[in-house]
Amino acid sequence: MSLAQQFRTGDTPLPDIIILTHKLARAYDMGGEVVRALRGVSLQIRRNEYVAIMGPSGSGKSTLMNLIGCLDTPTGGEYWLNGQKVSDLGDDALARIRNKEIGFVFQTFNLLPRATALHNVELPLIYAGLGAKERRAQAAQALERVGLGDRMEHRPNELSGGQRQRVAIARALVNDPSILLADEPTGNLDSATSGEIMEVFGALHRQGQTVVMVTHEHDIAAHAARVVTLRDGLVATDQRQAA
Amino acid sequence: MTSLFEGVGIALGSLRVHKMRAALTILGVAIGVMVVMVIGSLIAGFNKGLSDMLETLGPKTFYVGRFWGGAGNEDPDDPNPWRRRPPLTIAEAERLEQLPTVKFAVVDENANADIVFEGKRLGAVSIQGRDADWPKVAGGDIYPGRSFSPLEDKANAFVVVINIKVSEQLFGERDPIGHRIKIAGLPYDVIGVYDPPTGLFGEGDQNEVFIPYGTLVKNVPYRPDWMDFFVAPEDSVPIERAIDDVTIALRTMRGLRPGQPNNFDVVTQEKYLETVNSMTSVFKVIMIVLSMVGLMVGGIGVVAIMMISVTERTREIGVRKALGATRREVLWQFLVEAATLTLVGGVIGMTAGGLISLLLAAATPIPAYVPLGSVIVALVAAAFTGLLFGIYPASKASRLDPVEALRYE
Ligand SMILES: Nc1ncnc2c1ncn2[C@@H]1O[C@H](COP(=O)(O)OP(=O)(O)OP(=O)(O)O)[C@@H](O)[C@H]1O
Ligand SMILES: [Mg+2]
Repeated sequence: MSLAQQFRTGDTPLPDIIILTHKLARAYDMGGEVVRALRGVSLQIRRNEYVAIMGPSGSGKSTLMNLIGCLDTPTGGEYWLNGQKVSDLGDDALARIRNKEIGFVFQTFNLLPRATALHNVELPLIYAGLGAKERRAQAAQALERVGLGDRMEHRPNELSGGQRQRVAIARALVNDPSILLADEPTGNLDSATSGEIMEVFGALHRQGQTVVMVTHEHDIAAHAARVVTLRDGLVATDQRQAA
Repeated sequence: MTSLFEGVGIALGSLRVHKMRAALTILGVAIGVMVVMVIGSLIAGFNKGLSDMLETLGPKTFYVGRFWGGAGNEDPDDPNPWRRRPPLTIAEAERLEQLPTVKFAVVDENANADIVFEGKRLGAVSIQGRDADWPKVAGGDIYPGRSFSPLEDKANAFVVVINIKVSEQLFGERDPIGHRIKIAGLPYDVIGVYDPPTGLFGEGDQNEVFIPYGTLVKNVPYRPDWMDFFVAPEDSVPIERAIDDVTIALRTMRGLRPGQPNNFDVVTQEKYLETVNSMTSVFKVIMIVLSMVGLMVGGIGVVAIMMISVTERTREIGVRKALGATRREVLWQFLVEAATLTLVGGVIGMTAGGLISLLLAAATPIPAYVPLGSVIVALVAAAFTGLLFGIYPASKASRLDPVEALRYE
């Protein structure tokens, strides 16, 4: 089942394709012994897709997410994001792209502990160079979108796990990114709270947001319209499913 | 700009959390800055006192003395060259005063003796032997009362002008004029109270009284070796001519043949200032060295506290990078933090230094004051220390790999 025509090195991806990886590889040199975390992953993700990435521990899910999120650079293959080849960009260019195109949600939330919810959400806007007033307005709006309009001045330790993750989602959304990347976003949450977070993701997807999420749990993956399974650094299965 | 404020806020926050570590850093910088402030204000005050004094003397007044050492003139083979020179005498001063190019020559001679009034005794009071012109040279006011007249001066009268400090101690609220005090066992009439200008050499700060020169020489035990004069040329006479006349007159009186060196020194204000400046420049070097040491200690503290801060906040750095912070932005954040740390030290040191300067101005004759320049220099030095020593930890933070930083436990 082919989702797009075969991509060849040297091609430019179709405009509709936000993420395109071509034989993407990532190897770690552990003092002589080479660990090949990704061994040639070719994936195409269209605008407004909702993709879950699954696979056993150590299969390379997080490695792939870091590459897609421009936090890391591949050791082989190509990566095109929004029609731009980013696999050979330098540090500062990648930082700019992370700021504009990517919204991250982490398993451990990764909020700044001493900052308020509002300030946490403002961070991407600081690096985007926005003025203080505009930043506050946009950050407040993002918090309202995830249902935390009444918790803006709270610090992370004054919030529940689910609320913290919602702050993190607001922070990921505030720059209006091309893709929302989430690496096991419910990994630290109980099942009821996980359900709430999945509802937020579902709503964002319905509003047009492209979402890529790593998960171990089948009932979480069931929220996505497409499930990609990795095994030993390669794509094992890639299936659409009824949402 | 916004990230600057943010950096300052983060820095102040981490100061609160790591009080002990920050204390070392702040202390080092504070000491460095304090030293700059105190010595700077002393030099400024000293220079001001000097220029005030020279102003009261008039710009052309010069100094005649037995020996003008000055700094840096010492000869190790000849440690006491002044021993070969005769002391100046009152006769020489009188001769100089008769020169047509000289307006006045003021004798400055002093001794220490006890003063007694109605059983109250002040020990080791400085007794100044002066001639009738002395208030012109010394500045300040004589009120109530007056100074001694030329007649009283010539007659070696037993009259005395006491300074305010002596007056307060002996007489309290009472008017001292007309009372009789004993100096070195002999009675003197108090004719005036002297209120000195804020001066360089402690006038007014110590117990001090003024009597005619001849009276001092005859009646108070003293060492006659170190008499010196301040000589003022007539208004229309260039200083060089007056100096020449004084030099020739003294050589003639002392019977020096042509080719023999002078056995006295004539020093202009310029040379006087030069000597004083070479003294203050020694202070300046000490100041720079001490403050450097303080700033170094502070700087090492900055490196230590910032390295800890970078390690502890590895995850935060990862998060910031993931959200789009560039290397330069992370570098800047930690540099601002380091500079904030040292600036806090700088402000504390400045406050302490300013207070010490005020105390010094109140407790010593030096009118120490803090010039705006040294405030600015101190703050800039403090901030610069933070930036300089913050570079290493900040660049370490900026070069962290985001993936590894995010995984850091
Ligand atoms: N920094 C690294 N240095 C060396 N090897 C690494 C590094 N990061 C990942 N690996 C290796 O790459 C492989 C893939 O790791 P990755 O974290 O992508 O797995 P994962 O699918 O996310 O697993 P999990 O489900 O446990 O999170 C593993 O074998 C891992 O040991
Ligand atoms: Mg993982």
